[in-house]
Amino acid sequence: MNDRAPMLETTGLGRAFGKKWALRGLSLRVPEGELYGFLGQNGAGKTTTLRLLAGLLRPSEGTLRIAGLEHGTDGAALRQLLGFVPDTPPLYDYLTGRQYVALVASLWHVDRRQRDERCERLFATLDLSEVADELCRGYSHGMRKKVHLAAVLTTAPRVLLLDEPTTGLDPISTRRLKDLLLAEAAAGTTILLSTHVLEVAEQICHRVGILARGSLCAEGPVAELRQQHGARSLEDVFLSTAGGGD
Amino acid sequence: MGLVAADLRVLGNLLTTADGRRVATSTFVGLALFALMSWWVADALVDRPDLLAMLHRETRGGSLQALIGYGLMACPLVATWYGLSLAQRQLFEAPELLLWRLAPQAAVRAPLQALLRASLVSSTWAFALTGPFVGAFLRQSPAPLLAWCMLPLAIVCCTMPLLATLLAVQVALVRWFAGRALRLVLTVVMTLASLGFFAWFLLALFTPSQARVHDIAAAARDAGGLPWTVDTAAAMLSAVATGRFDWRATAGAVGWLAAALGIFLFAARQHPRAWERQLEAAAGFGARFGRRWPAGAAGAVRKKEFAQLLQQPGALLGFVLFPLLVFGLAQRRLLIGGILANPRLPDCVATLGAMLALWFVAVMLVLYAHMGRMAVWDGPQWSLYMASPTPPGRLVRGKLAAIATLMLWPLLVVAVAGGHLLGADRSTLATFLAVAIGGTCAALGVLAALGTWPRLMRPDEGGHVLQGARNFVAAILLVFAFDLVTAPGWLGWIWLDHFARERRLEEHVVRPYAPLLAGAALAWGSLVGVLGAAIGTRHYRRLLTPR
Repeated sequence: MNDRAPMLETTGLGRAFGKKWALRGLSLRVPEGELYGFLGQNGAGKTTTLRLLAGLLRPSEGTLRIAGLEHGTDGAALRQLLGFVPDTPPLYDYLTGRQYVALVASLWHVDRRQRDERCERLFATLDLSEVADELCRGYSHGMRKKVHLAAVLTTAPRVLLLDEPTTGLDPISTRRLKDLLLAEAAAGTTILLSTHVLEVAEQICHRVGILARGSLCAEGPVAELRQQHGARSLEDVFLSTAGGGD
Repeated sequence: MGLVAADLRVLGNLLTTADGRRVATSTFVGLALFALMSWWVADALVDRPDLLAMLHRETRGGSLQALIGYGLMACPLVATWYGLSLAQRQLFEAPELLLWRLAPQAAVRAPLQALLRASLVSSTWAFALTGPFVGAFLRQSPAPLLAWCMLPLAIVCCTMPLLATLLAVQVALVRWFAGRALRLVLTVVMTLASLGFFAWFLLALFTPSQARVHDIAAAARDAGGLPWTVDTAAAMLSAVATGRFDWRATAGAVGWLAAALGIFLFAARQHPRAWERQLEAAAGFGARFGRRWPAGAAGAVRKKEFAQLLQQPGALLGFVLFPLLVFGLAQRRLLIGGILANPRLPDCVATLGAMLALWFVAVMLVLYAHMGRMAVWDGPQWSLYMASPTPPGRLVRGKLAAIATLMLWPLLVVAVAGGHLLGADRSTLATFLAVAIGGTCAALGVLAALGTWPRLMRPDEGGHVLQGARNFVAAILLVFAFDLVTAPGWLGWIWLDHFARERRLEEHVVRPYAPLLAGAALAWGSLVGVLGAAIGTRHYRRLLTPR
């Protein structure tokens, strides 16, 4: 999978906040249709990486290309390809779920027919149909995440970025989300997600990257990493690389 | 659905929920009160043809333009207040900003949306403050229909240019100078803007009609008496009101609007970088404060209140600066002029009465904010209180101790103002302090009882205290209750005034009663305070009970 032309490519990507580097020297090549997982302790730089990739932060050093477009040169065209699901979704409290999806779809220039068709399918998949016409202010954290994910997927992004997508989801929703992400990846969407749930990464990610103190300290398919580190599970790999040690 | 349509849909959806309707109602009632005050000020002038004739003479026939200009002055003041306070937050901290920034649209679209929101809100407030005043004189002139149609345009032309320019300057400042120092500067400016707005509002409301007419005439005579935007909009509207159409003034007013929008759009291109730098500089203030926290719950809650106040420089500055309005009132003898000029009262009694009136106003200015401290502002932490084994009485005691300390500030400010500006002697100061301390205890009792009342501060299903829904009712009740507990003082004053009409009061006669007055005030204040604290504790217990 790694030999394919990269959809997303970073070289020596770094971001400093004041004098402190949140991320440094990140070089990634993620081909089209790959599901890539970021693992790391709190403060390791996962969210910073996703925000850099989403174009919300500018790199302090290094380069970033998505679908051949360089970060900072063609912002609108780049954002048209991207979908970002942050940990706290930016929902409008006084719009309904369906109205919110309509807003996001219009911002991403999705026509009405496609929007309605995708929206219905995604709401059904994510078990949101019953609450689609309720105001977002009444949604739980998990539902807010699912509504934003549905809105983002309605825009058919070529690169999907997810920050802790399973946080706040019940087991059934988590399972549906994993199936949905696998289907999207199979359909050609490149997906990068950050997670603390190692089982999720183990089950669905084609490759994972382990971040520690702002640097990528291990990367590869889960089976390969286990083999390299002589570990029985991804948890053991994580503990030995990300600083847990014992 | 575009961003504007989404905002309109939000407004529509707001009315579909009970909480949204309450928020809308309280906003509407607030606007209506402003409009009523604006009309009341205009009506006081309309009822004085002699003053209007004087204004006509002093402005050499330009009284309508001068009056419209005076009315429109509220617009830049609202723009300054809103642009430096709430709009700043919308520009950098609106929850929807993330979506606007992620969407494939021009970089200026997100700040433009913030400007549109801010313009709508500030123009609405400006309309409430300006419309009835200007409308009263348009009706009197009488103005043709076109003038009424152009009134909203005039208000927008006076509000938006300054608002857009202020937001543009803030984008540029944050883009290049983001950091703690700038945050502090912007916070100070924001607080001063809020203070200035409310000071202007109070002064405008209580200025006698004759002095107001002199101010209007002076502003009309001076070349720079009114801001350019107001001057041109007033010229535009007064011309239309008298059956002419002043193309030059209209072009000027619209030109200011276009120029300010141009400046804003130019600066807005820097918004993505400014937003990023704002996020970087979002560290809290005073991180080292309070390393040694008390072990007791009441002490810890008290210290938490102080720490929160220090973490919010705006609130801290507001708390420090608002009572300083008292100095302005004392200097201009506003509100207290009648008391001080009463020839039947001895000087010491008049000074004491004036100081107590000032203290009452100073406390009223901060009382509502302190009510929030009792429960509403703890909404996000409410589940912590619910889960804690601490008796509610200790939480209430900690909060009241913090508020009591903070309420010593208005007392101190009035004491200093009384000593310096009103010439109060030591004995008068001592009596004032005793009576005001009693009054502070009574105010604490009111805060404890109302600030925890479950009907006003009921937690929602998620365990959070419902915020912003019953603010207006709470404010009205707070004012009413504080008036009620200070009623003995007011009644005593009225009795004293009547007594002085029948028999001349001498200073040596009233002086011996000072300790009695002080003792009575302290006893009454303590009684109200203790009762309020007991009710507050009971309320807190109910608030903390799982629903």
